[in-house]
Amino acid sequence: MSKEVSRLVEAVATGAIDRREFVRGALGLGLSVATIAAVLQGCSGEEAKAPPAPAPGGTPGPAPEPELGPIEGELHIYMWSDYIAEDTVPNFEKEFNCKVTLDTYESNEEMIAKLQAGAGGYDLVCPSGYAITVLKHLDLMEKLTRKHIPNLGNVAPIFTSTVFDPTNDHTVPWQWGVTGIAYRKDKLPTPPDSWALFLDAALKGKVTMMDDMRDNIGAWLRYRGKSLNSVDPTELAAAKVDALAAKVNLRAYISAPVKAQLVAGDVYAAQLWNGDTMQARAENDNIEFAVPKEGAAIWCDSLVIPKGARNIRAAHEFLNYILRPEVGASISNFTGYGSPNKLASEKLATPVPYPSEEQMKTLEYQQDLGAGTAVWDQLWTEIKSS
Amino acid sequence: MMELRRAWLRWLSRHPSLRAWSVMFPGAWWLLVFFMVPLGFMFAYSFMERNVYGGVEAGFTIEHYARFADPLYMKILVRTVVYALGCTVASLLMGYPVAYAISRSGPWKNLLVFLVILPFWTSFLVRTFAMIFLMRDTGLINTTLMGMGLITEPIEMLGTPAAVMAGLVYGFLPFMVLPIYSSLEKLDPSLLEAAEVLGAKPAARFFRVVLPLSMPGVVAGSLLVFIPALGSFLTSDLLGGAKEIMIGNLVQNQFTSARNWPFGSAASFVVMGVVLLAVFAYLRSRDDDALAGA
Amino acid sequence: MAGRLPRWLVAITVAVYAFLHAPLLVLVVFSFNDSKFSAAWEGFTFQWYARLLERDDILDSLWVSLEVGLISTVVSTLLGTLLALGLARHRFRGRAAMESLLYVPIVTPEIVCGISLLIFFMFLKNVLHIPVVLGVPTIIIAHVAFNISFVTVVVRSRLEGMDRNLEEAAMILGADEFTAFWRVTVPQLWPGILSGALLAFTMSFDDYVITSLVTGPGSSTLPIVVYGMVRKNIEPSINAISTIILVVTALLIYASDRLSKPTALKP
Repeated sequence: MSKEVSRLVEAVATGAIDRREFVRGALGLGLSVATIAAVLQGCSGEEAKAPPAPAPGGTPGPAPEPELGPIEGELHIYMWSDYIAEDTVPNFEKEFNCKVTLDTYESNEEMIAKLQAGAGGYDLVCPSGYAITVLKHLDLMEKLTRKHIPNLGNVAPIFTSTVFDPTNDHTVPWQWGVTGIAYRKDKLPTPPDSWALFLDAALKGKVTMMDDMRDNIGAWLRYRGKSLNSVDPTELAAAKVDALAAKVNLRAYISAPVKAQLVAGDVYAAQLWNGDTMQARAENDNIEFAVPKEGAAIWCDSLVIPKGARNIRAAHEFLNYILRPEVGASISNFTGYGSPNKLASEKLATPVPYPSEEQMKTLEYQQDLGAGTAVWDQLWTEIKSS
Repeated sequence: MMELRRAWLRWLSRHPSLRAWSVMFPGAWWLLVFFMVPLGFMFAYSFMERNVYGGVEAGFTIEHYARFADPLYMKILVRTVVYALGCTVASLLMGYPVAYAISRSGPWKNLLVFLVILPFWTSFLVRTFAMIFLMRDTGLINTTLMGMGLITEPIEMLGTPAAVMAGLVYGFLPFMVLPIYSSLEKLDPSLLEAAEVLGAKPAARFFRVVLPLSMPGVVAGSLLVFIPALGSFLTSDLLGGAKEIMIGNLVQNQFTSARNWPFGSAASFVVMGVVLLAVFAYLRSRDDDALAGA
Repeated sequence: MAGRLPRWLVAITVAVYAFLHAPLLVLVVFSFNDSKFSAAWEGFTFQWYARLLERDDILDSLWVSLEVGLISTVVSTLLGTLLALGLARHRFRGRAAMESLLYVPIVTPEIVCGISLLIFFMFLKNVLHIPVVLGVPTIIIAHVAFNISFVTVVVRSRLEGMDRNLEEAAMILGADEFTAFWRVTVPQLWPGILSGALLAFTMSFDDYVITSLVTGPGSSTLPIVVYGMVRKNIEPSINAISTIILVVTALLIYASDRLSKPTALKP
């Protein structure tokens, strides 16, 4: 009950609903008229000081945020599969009386191609970091109306103003993680602390790396102390040499499906994301995760509202909803990844602590390489086919 | 209604080529509008400039075709062709006997045909993961063999070219069996009996009677296996460990991680061009043979 | 007649069927395995079947897939068979060229086909202002487009060398062309049509790449849901749904085989 009340108060305070709606809702929740009056009093007080009136004749303040209409029809979410807790959508549907359809994609490019072609019809999509840059360049994102997402304040500072969305205008961070090494502590003599693990001939045929050029070449750039976003030809040439030296030892280039082989013990160590490692660990507690000392990729997927979205108001409500501490925690408990929501992060069943400032020095976001993408692709093709 | 039908037939019989087209029109129209026209867009794309954020930019260039001549890509092309050919031959050797057995199995015919296709009504990925389970070090085959004391060390199967080949053959076998079956099925058993009565040995009966009659099925099956095998990409990734790259991967990557649509289109059109020319040459020679034979 | 097959031929056939069905056996067994990653046998459970009841998305997508598969199979089989008849029965200028064009959909990489259709549909919508909405209809259009060729090639191989004497005899005996076609040609062609239709349904039912590019909100097919679940790890509820599909189709096939004897008209 109290949760619903506070949501109502929150909504009226931010102007998401008008007073008449509030009174109707509050009466429905069984609040006394006196309480309602008190709440409204408080809101109007805040409202009065909220938007500073532009001084007459002076420079106008920032343009006021537009009013969003009511929740209408269905909310269409398009995101990675298996990336949302099972109760997240049903609870939202119940609370907001808004049907949600959830469709999934397997690569950022699939989603971008559709938006770029003008397919539309989706109200929320979930790009990875570099894909946000692409969407921004293609002008495919709606600007967020912040007053409808009061919970934005719950986002941890290290996941605000990221390199992908410095002004926090378009994205709400969803899940974050690190690409490191998952290993079997019962099969390796010492816990790995370096990408050099994959160069160790003693482990030939027992290790795998991810089947993705950014993760693979990126690891070898970090190994030599370079940025994993490098497009410098000499740095890339050195990375290629290391990647080829490791290729001999690799059983396969394989991403998430390696989990089954880690659990079974066919593979002793694998380049993998931390969250997927946790999912495998649930089956076999000999599985551990390490971040190499040379550094690794950190990433944060976000929700954005694409251009052409029809149910923008419901999309905002959903964004605000997932930023509630208990909702955010339930999502991360399901995926095994960290929550960028500070309050949610404190509630996780298995804590995924934020990287310290010291650690952040070696962790890097994968940024869009622009024209350099073609160079990387050529390099990756060469590595694969030699 | 009857009158209309007759009138229509009379009119058609006076215009034989129209008759041909009236039958082919719906299918040809669908292919033209929903395949050739969209493909035309991609053909145009293959001559445009790459947009670094996906898609293309206006302009005209043949650099994407020129780039494909790089030995790096030629090597990939050759490797892909070798795999596809191997897959075709293996499918033929396995598929022909099966198709023959089905066509001679009387009342069990339809059931056996369905049993060939049934495995393919489960998702490709699910099937492939089941194969991985069979083939991996701690998988069913190795544990069984070790349990029986036949081997002491697991045989490494996953990640080998043999595993890729097994996966490809598995995936394309029905495309070989079904056309051969459908052309063998019309074979009149009395023909074989006649040949037997006339003293032809089994091998002679097969090579002189059965095989020639089923040739159209063999050709169709081989094309339906070879061509899609050229474009496959997931099988080699999942069973071969992704340590080699096929043309299918190359094209796929251009539309995903590399975001180079024009090059991806150009690479596809080169492969398509070569294959189509070969098919065209074959069909022309077949028509010429048919004319000569008539 | 089966008894006349040489023993080695029967042996090869059995071996090939075993090869085709061994992975299925594995997935059926593992649909009852009490482990999330199918790594090893951990004990018997029905939990993955129980889970299916909670996963509305799997069942919804199964219906979408069946709808798409059946409609696109009927349409592509009809159009493809007619196309094959036209090609086989009539000599016309450019026949070889026309027939080579049939191979274009077979040789086109899926991703190219999918992207080209996406661009095409969006061209219709945004440039020509034809109200195209991505969803089940666009998936069906795409599936028919890539299936026609497969049907035509298979039926065409059946038609090749098939003589028209029977058909002509029927017409001499007073049947008009339609009657002769339905009563004589179609039964003769039946194994080819059936083979083509089976291939078409199979490809439609298992297509991921093209479908994912022409699908819209709320119209995910089974492969889209399955790929999503399998991309990270193969959850055994996927094995469970696959097992159910297998059992149901096997029963249907068996039933129809019992009911429809004798189907094939002996020439």
